[in-house]
Amino acid sequence: MSVAIMKTKAELALAEQFQSALPALPGGPEVAKVRQQAIATFGELGLPHRRIEDWKYTDLRTAFKDPAPPSAGDAAKLTVGDLIVALGPYMDLDAPRIVFVNGHYRRPLSNLAGAEAVIVSPLSEKFERLTPAQSDAVTSLNTAFVTDGAVITIPAGVTLEKPLLIVSLTAGKDARLSTVRHQIDAGADARATLVELFITLPGSSPDQQTNTLTTLTAGDRASITHVKAASDGGRATHLSNWIVALGAGTLYRGFQMTSGLALVRNEIAALYRGEHAKLDISGVFLGRSNDHIDTTLTVDHAVPHCESRELFAGVLDGRARGIFQGKIIVRPDAQKTDGKQMARAMMLSPDAEFDSKPELEIYADDVVCGHGSTVAEIDEDLLFYCQARGIPADEARAMLVESFIGEAIERVEHEGLRHCLMQTATAWLNALPA
Amino acid sequence: MAAVQDTIDQVKKVDVDQYKYGFETDIEADRAPKGLSEDIVRFISEKKGEPAWMLAWRLDSYQRWKVMTEPTWAKVDYPRIDFQDLYYYSAPRSKKVLDSLDEVDPEILKTYEKLGIPLTEQKILAGVKLTGAKPVAVDAIFDSVSVATTFKKELAKAGVIFCSISEALREHPELVRKYLGSVVPQSDNFYAALNSAVFSDGSFVYIPPGVRCPMELSTQFRMNDKETGQFERTLIIADKGSYVSYLEGCTAPMRDENQLHAAVVELIALDDAEIKYSTVQNWYPGDKNGKGGVYNFVTKRGDCRGVNSKISWTQVETGSAITWKYPSCILRGDNSRGEFYSIAISNGRQQVDSGTKMIHLGKNTSSRIISKGIAAGHSQNTYRGLVSAHRKATNARNFTNCDSLLIGDKCGAHTVPYIEAKTSTAHFEHEATTSKISEDTLFYCMQRGLTQEEAVALVVNGFVRDVLQHLPMEFMAETQKLIGISLEGSVG
Repeated sequence: MSVAIMKTKAELALAEQFQSALPALPGGPEVAKVRQQAIATFGELGLPHRRIEDWKYTDLRTAFKDPAPPSAGDAAKLTVGDLIVALGPYMDLDAPRIVFVNGHYRRPLSNLAGAEAVIVSPLSEKFERLTPAQSDAVTSLNTAFVTDGAVITIPAGVTLEKPLLIVSLTAGKDARLSTVRHQIDAGADARATLVELFITLPGSSPDQQTNTLTTLTAGDRASITHVKAASDGGRATHLSNWIVALGAGTLYRGFQMTSGLALVRNEIAALYRGEHAKLDISGVFLGRSNDHIDTTLTVDHAVPHCESRELFAGVLDGRARGIFQGKIIVRPDAQKTDGKQMARAMMLSPDAEFDSKPELEIYADDVVCGHGSTVAEIDEDLLFYCQARGIPADEARAMLVESFIGEAIERVEHEGLRHCLMQTATAWLNALPA
Repeated sequence: MAAVQDTIDQVKKVDVDQYKYGFETDIEADRAPKGLSEDIVRFISEKKGEPAWMLAWRLDSYQRWKVMTEPTWAKVDYPRIDFQDLYYYSAPRSKKVLDSLDEVDPEILKTYEKLGIPLTEQKILAGVKLTGAKPVAVDAIFDSVSVATTFKKELAKAGVIFCSISEALREHPELVRKYLGSVVPQSDNFYAALNSAVFSDGSFVYIPPGVRCPMELSTQFRMNDKETGQFERTLIIADKGSYVSYLEGCTAPMRDENQLHAAVVELIALDDAEIKYSTVQNWYPGDKNGKGGVYNFVTKRGDCRGVNSKISWTQVETGSAITWKYPSCILRGDNSRGEFYSIAISNGRQQVDSGTKMIHLGKNTSSRIISKGIAAGHSQNTYRGLVSAHRKATNARNFTNCDSLLIGDKCGAHTVPYIEAKTSTAHFEHEATTSKISEDTLFYCMQRGLTQEEAVALVVNGFVRDVLQHLPMEFMAETQKLIGISLEGSVG
């Protein structure tokens, strides 16, 4: 039985916006062709809905109603002063940065001093090729609308001392759709810390929309820390994809922090290409009022002797809804795989909701795999313990929440970075209604 | 509104009144013709002499089934079933009778031997004709008839109703009508709808208020049960403050010609009542290449309708080519409790997709899931489960533990849990692990004189101990042997 599904208003609007935006989108005729194909793919698929197993808990057909027009690039003249305000604690890192505003590279705001050993350039400057990356609806939209992004090559053997910030700012009185794509290619034995920041400037429209895609390839024995922090967008929509491929013997540490955004889908797909690689992906998601934060993770053990660790912690207040879908796949020949996954949620309000689907798909026998998932409110006994020792209730509560998310943040090795993330989390917690 | 109109149209489409052609037959058939149609449904109902409302209910189910599609989300792979190429009714006596045990698959006989089943019982299980030349056998049959009647008397004294569902429809129509389909509605899923339309027979149990059922009820006590065929329907009602333990199945492999089994089991526990339901399923799993074998598509659900009620499922799944089964609990009453203990063993080319659903609706409800999956050979073993707490289910508690053991590098073990907490007072814990039997453990056992197969069986029995403990006493020992047999040929 086939049923023709009606196109939603948003789907029609996206197709229309693409046609009017196409002439202004960067890239030659080759790129335009890839974009056309991508929007055609999207046209066939439509927005993902709950009938699609991977989107069971995040129905974009109903949640994503009003696509904002793609940003044209001329909007929002920002000064370095604005940037300093936006970056907040991250300024203290004194780190090299490449800055995009509403999905367009801003040379005056960028500062790559200290990152000379790596090759960093905006995608828009050499937009010769565009690959579709994946064929699902959200990445197809990214391919169709992408305007810019960072192209980073870390040559073999190079060590980047300071973290490299990839900053995406959204600003302006009107809601805009920013579409960026970052491509990170780390050579063999390369060592680097990369930080993706998504920040909405104060005073901007709270309805900004972002579609971001990062592809990261780590060469053999590379050691990469990859952090993403998206925050303070009011009613913003944030659709994010990480596609990570790991070479033999690599060490990859990923971390994602999400706070203050209304509709979020963080998808991470990690694939092992070489043996003896280690991966550690963790994250914190903070939801309040009607926020909807979805973390969907796939770790594909395609080769033997690899290790994976995941730890996600969420705090949910108001009517917020947190979702964690984590899948560990162990392919038939991936013997000696060691995979562990944990998702925890703390509910601060009776109306919050947490849905979790940790999945194991295992086709090899000599493996050790496990996952866990818990959901609970703050432990009253712990609260009482703190209060018995003279700590006021609200302070004790804050302490317990901080230590709860602290466990995940601790996984970030860079001290300064850890400090920044903790500060964002604390600010979010302090802003919660009592 | 368009959506509402859609619903109305949909309902109209499945309206039973649509049937325009009367059905009349004077054929004295033992077996209805192949295929499924309204006529067949009427035929079954007439054969069983059912009341008019039951026929209407069946026809309604059939109309709903017609517009439904087969579920494809489970991690099982099998050729499409042609539902028009099946027999939906065959009278018991048409069952093929073999002349001697020589005609039975030698593999099955070997298994009987290992389980230590007496020869006569072997024959009954395998469906061999018992001749007068073996008077002992005849006695055995008489014995079990008398056993059944003795139990019947004792049960009747306690007020317990335990009979086939056909009998219940005649003797206690008001009870059946009140509860049938109240836990698994007709249109619950594809196979449940099919079962509702054509179910042949099954068990009916009613425990009156305050009664503790004096014995374990088992399908084995009932003579007609072996012939209930492929669409079994079980309905168990435990009235206020009562207790019953029900045992289904048998450890010996069942020779069965039915490819498709689509059973429905409904349990209802009222205030303070407790139902314990244990299953040992060992249908024919198909040969080494996965040819033949039973498709076991079962809908089992318990409804903890009253306060302080409790339903506990224990299952040992070792047979069937394909298992698609999710015994669930709806925890509706306040303080109600649901439990699920499962051992699922797959070997050869078997595919198991099984698990449970714990749906917390009432206040202070709790549930516990212990699932042990063992995959060997080329089999695929999936745990699929849902734990959900409704917005008003304050203080819902769940603990889930699903462990998988892999034996051999050609099998797969998968875990797909869904955890949905819609209230902050819910306290859910889930953990799952997958591993293989450690070489060191095997070496240790073998060094002490066990063969490799014995060592594996020993380790596996240890692995599933948590669940075995919840089986009724008489099943425990047999099940341990069964586990060893199920895993034969999986190592070395």
